[in-house]
Amino acid sequence: MTAVARVLDITGLTCPMTWVKTKLELERMASGEVLTVRCCPGEALENVPRSAAEEGHEVALDGNTIRIVHR
Amino acid sequence: MTDRRGFLGEVVGAAVRAGREASSAAPPPGRGLSDAELDRYSRQLVLPQWSEQAQLALREAAVLVVGAGALGSPVATYLAGAGVGRLGIVDHDAVEVSNLHRQHLHFTPDVGVAKAHSAAAKLGFLNPGVVVEPYQAHFNAAMVEGHDLVVDCSDSFETRYAVNAACCAARTPLVEGGVTGMSGMVMAIRPGESACYRCAFPTAPPPGSVPSCAQAGVLGPAAGVIGSLQALEALRLLARLDGALLDAFLQVDLEDAGFVRVAVRRRPECEDCGAGPTSRG
Repeated sequence: MTAVARVLDITGLTCPMTWVKTKLELERMASGEVLTVRCCPGEALENVPRSAAEEGHEVALDGNTIRIVHR
Repeated sequence: MTDRRGFLGEVVGAAVRAGREASSAAPPPGRGLSDAELDRYSRQLVLPQWSEQAQLALREAAVLVVGAGALGSPVATYLAGAGVGRLGIVDHDAVEVSNLHRQHLHFTPDVGVAKAHSAAAKLGFLNPGVVVEPYQAHFNAAMVEGHDLVVDCSDSFETRYAVNAACCAARTPLVEGGVTGMSGMVMAIRPGESACYRCAFPTAPPPGSVPSCAQAGVLGPAAGVIGSLQALEALRLLARLDGALLDAFLQVDLEDAGFVRVAVRRRPECEDCGAGPTSRG
């Protein structure tokens, strides 16, 4: 299993800043690196994984935590 | 009118002060985006085509907008809104009431005010983080120096060819545009790499052969479409996005919503970006 490289907490944010912060963090990462995103249930948990997948990243959910492998 | 002029003076002063405060508070070059910048630009940062690097490139950029009229209004508005760091606004004219249907940076109380200053006041309100430098003057080639990009929003062929020649000489990227009636054109240029305006149109039409805006008229939204396309091309060039209108111009005919991309080649003998006309000697 790939080691967790970065952790981002977006629990205090609302759309679109939830995805803005996640997207910019992903832009700073290399392919294969992993980003763990902690968020609140609701729109962020629906929208951030979908947006990350649309950009071609690998996405998995574990409760309120999103695990994104940069692709 | 006197009272409204007084009000306008206060508005302009407030905008200038707001701009100064924002400039002094702006983060030094090399720093990442602040939370306030993330918030302001969030709707473009979420775009797949946009990025933090694109946003930082805009913040570091200086753009000269030649003309603060029908094309310059949408161009300057969108570039200031998008976060271009420094905007130079060149216009020698004053606002007339007949300008107002198409030049949305100017309002009725601005009649008689220099367009460069009227535009700068509104842009300062729109985005206090942008440094706006108004030049109430005719365009001259020396103005290109210190700018990363020029957007030509002038309304005469004489100025258009002068801007093209100056940008070619300085190797400064340029976005050309023109509008009359319900049609217009847009062209992006990287001098030395892509065809320039003179490559596409080697000679200016004879004086008087093409009706001026005052003679032919123009619909406000038509100018808005062309100016918006120019702003989009400017953002593409500054952020180095794909799909710029290089080696081509877009011919827009809004009577039938026709958009035609016309391919253009560099001309080695171009007197602006090439070696000049071959000697007959």
